[in-house]
Amino acid sequence: MRVFFRLCKQALQDVTLNPWAQLLTLAAVTLMAFLVGIFLMAIITLDHQLGVIKGETIFQVYWRPGVEQNLIAGQWRQLRLLPGFAHIQTYTPLEALQELEGRIGRNSSSRNFPFLNENNPLPATALITFTPEAEDYERWLTETTSYLARLEGVERVSSTPLRDELGQAWRTVNSYVLRPIILFLTLILGLVVGNTVRLAMLSKSQEVEILQLVGAFDWYIRIPMLVIGGLQGLVGSALALFLLRFIHLQIEQILNFPPILMEIQFLNLQTIVLMLALPTLLGIVGGWVGIKR
Amino acid sequence: MIDVRHLSHSFGPHPALQDCSFHLSRGEVLFLTGPSGAGKSTLLRLLFADLPLQRGEAVVAGFPLSKIRAAQVPLLRRQVSMVFQDFKILPLRTVYDNIVLPLQVRGMDKTHADRRVLAAARAVELENKLESSCVDISGGEQQRVAVARALVVNPRILLADEPTGNMDPELALQIMDIFKKFQNYGTTLIIATHSPELILRNPRARILRLDQGMITQANWPGAILNKFSSAVPLAAYGGGARHDSTEERDG
Repeated sequence: MRVFFRLCKQALQDVTLNPWAQLLTLAAVTLMAFLVGIFLMAIITLDHQLGVIKGETIFQVYWRPGVEQNLIAGQWRQLRLLPGFAHIQTYTPLEALQELEGRIGRNSSSRNFPFLNENNPLPATALITFTPEAEDYERWLTETTSYLARLEGVERVSSTPLRDELGQAWRTVNSYVLRPIILFLTLILGLVVGNTVRLAMLSKSQEVEILQLVGAFDWYIRIPMLVIGGLQGLVGSALALFLLRFIHLQIEQILNFPPILMEIQFLNLQTIVLMLALPTLLGIVGGWVGIKR
Repeated sequence: MIDVRHLSHSFGPHPALQDCSFHLSRGEVLFLTGPSGAGKSTLLRLLFADLPLQRGEAVVAGFPLSKIRAAQVPLLRRQVSMVFQDFKILPLRTVYDNIVLPLQVRGMDKTHADRRVLAAARAVELENKLESSCVDISGGEQQRVAVARALVVNPRILLADEPTGNMDPELALQIMDIFKKFQNYGTTLIIATHSPELILRNPRARILRLDQGMITQANWPGAILNKFSSAVPLAAYGGGARHDSTEERDG
């Protein structure tokens, strides 16, 4: 064990003997891990975004202007009893007007549109979210659309079954395309990191040869190489993760505005562990195969 | 200690060593002479397991080299030290780091190793340059580093390929005296050299002359086994115990 720790210490000291080769290797590992991390962040963000809406169908119902508000309020209560109901957001004409003003940055309708207070042209609306059962979905969609359109005073009904289809499509793509791509990227990351470390080890071939000539056993020669290879992988991927986190903090909210409303997600714990472990492991493998017997 | 039987080696179609046989016991010194390309370095590298055996057999420090496994090579090299013609030192490390390397490999503690390194450095007059980087010292000093590294482990067998080639004559003789001391303590030495002065320094030494990979002259009975060899005694080197080997051939 004493020899092992001495070899580890020696490996760390040896880094200073050839600092540029080590730095360039580290830079290559960091860059590769960063690029893979960026791609994974994009995938995770998209997955999260579609995960939020997957399986949802949203109806927007518009009532004709001038319909009695008490009638509409009663209908809103009935809508909650429909099969697959999840959530409803309602707007009276006045609330719709306030919402509109809020969106354009003002607080009070009376200040901005005082002339509309008595003659509001906006209709009452409701945004109703359903999470229907997947089986017999088409029948449910037809019946619900028909029911909403037949409500007294309703002028128009629009729905977003596309979001549900998008969610289904994403799941399919995720299973058949993205997972293989992520695996492929991981493989590329491994190959690049492993090979970069292996090439860096070649710069130590003279030292390896001399150690063999003075009677060093295989493990004695390999341990410092494995330590350096593993460190290159670990430090490189850790630097890439720090860089990714820093960039994430800068761009986290950059797409979080209507109508996109997409918050960029950072890598999850599982991916972080994978991004640290894989280059470390492959750095060690690179250190191992970098030495010829 | 070293038993070589019908050893031959080729690099591609070019024979480097042909049917070479000899035996050395503990504490004996053998000088290998001959022109450049005669096969001296090839013979040394074969005995150091730095080249695979192609034909023949060599037993070095009890290891039959034709059967030696890769995992056993370090064990052989803990018995046998070699001084290479091109030194084989680590240029970016200090003199101390280079000399202590074989001791570290053997797991010797630092205090003990430091004492050994200092003694070896003193023997080759490098004690004041222990902290110097090997890129900052002369070729002759680098050669002395290689010699000190070989001696620091008290090897049972020392193989030296032109160990004094870059040294001034006075220092070269001094190094030979050190080798003789090791010989007196039982180390078996094989030294490849072009220098008659070194050989004259060891009147009891055995001498083999190689030419085009073959032993062509020797100064002791039974050394010359191949039919191409001449039986001329090595009078030019003034070596002792000379024999006309014609009568000693195996046939």
